[in-house]
Amino acid sequence: MKEPQIIVCAKQIPDPEAPFSDVTVNVEKKQVSVDAPDVISPYDENALEAAIRIKEELGGKITVLSMGRKVSDTVLRKTIAAGADSLVLLEDPLFEGLDSFSTAHVLSCAIKKIGDWDLVLTGRQAGDWDSGQVGLILGEMLDVACVSLARSIKIDDGKLLVEKTVPVGYEVVEAALPALVTVSNEVGELRYVARSKMLGLLRRPMTIPKWNSKDLGCDVERLRKLQLTELAPPADMGRECTLIEGSAEEQAERLAAVLAELR
Amino acid sequence: MIPERPMFWKINDVWLFYTIAFLAICIFAVGVGIHISVWRKSTSKNKTSFSWQAVKQSIFEIVFGIRLFKGDIQAGIAHFLTFWGFIILLIGTTLLAIDGHVYPFLTGKKYLFFGLSMEIGGMLLLAGIIWSLVRRYIQRAPRLERRLEDGVVVLWFLVVVCSGFFLEAVILSAQRPPWTEWAFFGPLIAGFIPQATALSIYPGLWWGHALLCLAFIAAIPYTKLFHLVGAPAAYYLHHSPVEASEEPEEAIASGVQWEIAETAFLDACTRCGRCVQACPSAGAGEPLSPRDFVQTARHLLWQEHSPAGDIRFLLNVDGIEGDKAAWFCTTCGACMEVCPVYGAPFRAVGKKRAMLIEEGKGVPDVLNQTLERLFNYDNPWVSSKRDRTVWAKGLDVPVIKAGGKNDGSSPRQVLSRGPLCYFVGCTTSFDARAQAIAVSFSKLLKLAGMDFAILGDKEPCCGDIARVVGELGLFQEKMEGCSELFEKLSVSDIVTSSPHCFHTFLNEYPGSMFRVRHYSAVLKDLVAGGKLEPKKALDFTVTYHDPCYLGRHNRIFDDPRQVIRSIPGIKLVEMAHHGPDSLCCGGGGGRMWQGQEIRGEARMSEIRIREAHRTGARVLVTACPLCLIMLEDALKTVGFENELKVMDLNELLLQSVSDGQ
Ligand code: SF4
Ligand code: SF4
Repeated sequence: MKEPQIIVCAKQIPDPEAPFSDVTVNVEKKQVSVDAPDVISPYDENALEAAIRIKEELGGKITVLSMGRKVSDTVLRKTIAAGADSLVLLEDPLFEGLDSFSTAHVLSCAIKKIGDWDLVLTGRQAGDWDSGQVGLILGEMLDVACVSLARSIKIDDGKLLVEKTVPVGYEVVEAALPALVTVSNEVGELRYVARSKMLGLLRRPMTIPKWNSKDLGCDVERLRKLQLTELAPPADMGRECTLIEGSAEEQAERLAAVLAELR
Repeated sequence: MIPERPMFWKINDVWLFYTIAFLAICIFAVGVGIHISVWRKSTSKNKTSFSWQAVKQSIFEIVFGIRLFKGDIQAGIAHFLTFWGFIILLIGTTLLAIDGHVYPFLTGKKYLFFGLSMEIGGMLLLAGIIWSLVRRYIQRAPRLERRLEDGVVVLWFLVVVCSGFFLEAVILSAQRPPWTEWAFFGPLIAGFIPQATALSIYPGLWWGHALLCLAFIAAIPYTKLFHLVGAPAAYYLHHSPVEASEEPEEAIASGVQWEIAETAFLDACTRCGRCVQACPSAGAGEPLSPRDFVQTARHLLWQEHSPAGDIRFLLNVDGIEGDKAAWFCTTCGACMEVCPVYGAPFRAVGKKRAMLIEEGKGVPDVLNQTLERLFNYDNPWVSSKRDRTVWAKGLDVPVIKAGGKNDGSSPRQVLSRGPLCYFVGCTTSFDARAQAIAVSFSKLLKLAGMDFAILGDKEPCCGDIARVVGELGLFQEKMEGCSELFEKLSVSDIVTSSPHCFHTFLNEYPGSMFRVRHYSAVLKDLVAGGKLEPKKALDFTVTYHDPCYLGRHNRIFDDPRQVIRSIPGIKLVEMAHHGPDSLCCGGGGGRMWQGQEIRGEARMSEIRIREAHRTGARVLVTACPLCLIMLEDALKTVGFENELKVMDLNELLLQSVSDGQ
């Protein structure tokens, strides 16, 4: 079998792990601002890790795609430091705040432009809006087999073997290539990228292709913005801590009572 | 008849002996040469300058076997006997050669005295070897391994000594000289050997003994016997000043540069296992063995830098230590404290960590996330810099403004005019329990009328965590960030909450211009100078837990104890492990930020809490935010909450000074 060509879609988002004090919710403007550095959406990092493991086993090439109004290559170069081969940025003012369907459209144009590919991996959902739609819509647009919520991905003898998480365990799914898989966190964290490696990479001159809507030839008419009807901060973010005293049994009993009451 | 010893009595083919001896010495020299070349190849440009002081210190320690008595008197004695037996025989044989070839002087009384000394040497050696064998194979001391090499080398030694004694007896029986009254062992056996038998077996025995001895010399560099050369080298290098490498950047990029003293130590390691015995992680049933780390590091170094690969032919260390083990070390330094050849096994662990971080694979998930956070938020906790001063709310603690009063030109030792900069540290700033340190320390400083200030939400992380887990690139960035800030604000006198920040600023920031102290030193001075007066008597018994980075790493054992003793009514008792032997709480070396993947049978902190509980003290005092959190948690999980309390030194002192405010 030829070496697999893998495309990983990675979204740059404000750190979903950002400390609470760094997050402000503006109800009027329907905006959430996070005073923290941007990161790659954690599930997309899982997808990249899965891709790198396949590459370690079978060889091949990993291309990372990232779309946005303005994408930071200092954030996304981490994918290269971790083991991806190339990075393509899809940048256009028109790409700001797109809804899932439009995002999938832009990505599908880019993937078609790349042409030679066997597998597309995306995170199960993005860490900002958590809609979890782009992956599957994209699969549909590309007209390939599509498996969601993967906890492990293998290519064996030209076939795709995916362990797909289901509520009571997992299913093993087999599919022909090319295919699209959305990856879940069970796959494992993206390997650590040492600062020295990252700095070395940032210093190295590198041409990172940037494609806009014209380059991609996407249907601009079809691009729609995500419409927020309402935005409200969670009612009460206060935390309260009560220590339950007593022996282990008594503690368990009292804890059960407290939980039952809160239900 | 004058007592004397004819050279090569009744031995033919003396040339053959010389040829073999020459060969043996060549094999020895080549082996030592390879060792030195591996040391040189595996180190960066570190130079050592010759130091008489180091030579004297090393000789003193070798002659008295000082490091070997540490923590294990029995082993110390066994080694002492073996060492002196060996030395006496070595000197004796050398004198014999001089007597035979250069200048004959071993005659008459001198010869008798010589014979007696050799006999005593042999006896000492025999006693030492037998004791060692008993300890290893009969008592089976848990720290000792029983690999092929361990048996072969000692048995070889034993056979050499026994054949030596037997040879002496055979000579006495064959020659029947009238001067046997100065010897005791030889004549004893000689009595049982008829003269004719003695004469017939003598040449074979002579050759056998000679060959065993020569082969023994030849084998030194290729077995654990290399410590005969390696240990003195390691001692000398440990005591001699090392000139730092000129290219720190390069060293950081690779993360795995060794210093020559470290590589010499790897080769000098005899696998004695004292480090394993002292290691709190191994003691808690975790899969970490510092000895294995040292041996694997040594093996890898040899594979990389010796054309012939590893020359230790009796030792197979392939795969004895897995990658995961590297994350268990707390860098507590207990192994370094007991190592007879001044080794620091945790440095070998550190190199391994640096390699794993560089590779990126096998970094535990929680650590991976912690390092990301440290990079993004400048602290290892999931906290915002906006919350750095939450603890100070209502306390009216001054914050240093840019361009303070200091001129910034004062070197470390000199106190400048500006305020004392209190570097609170990440853990003390953000952790709910540890914040009590900051609160009570600033109250004490205020009570003492000190001019001090904090850095507020600008306070960065000192980078300690990055350094100890092997993320040297990130550490470098943190160091630069901190140094720049200190310079910008003209900070020249720093006090820290955490022994970890203290250690990092003091020892890991090369060329820094500020003075740094841990708060315990400041408290001691304030109490001694009468600025703080512990008035209220605290009538209870306390025990003190030495934080590793205050005690073992920086030898500050007494400051905190002096502060405790200054409190009227208080009684200080010591735990079984205290001072340099203190037992780690398990929070150092990045262990605080590691999840369930990294766990042993027992928790180190629980082991420590039980030890504190056994003293009968009511309060366990410590002087480090990490120790405070770890021990407080253990107190709850072990269930001693009603009998024991964990307190920071500041909290304790404040109780007495402020009269219960
Ligand atoms: S490192 Fe030191 S203490 Fe540990 S086995 Fe080697 S010589 Fe012994
Ligand atoms: S530093 Fe402490 S935990 Fe690490 S190997 Fe040495 S004794 Fe064990």
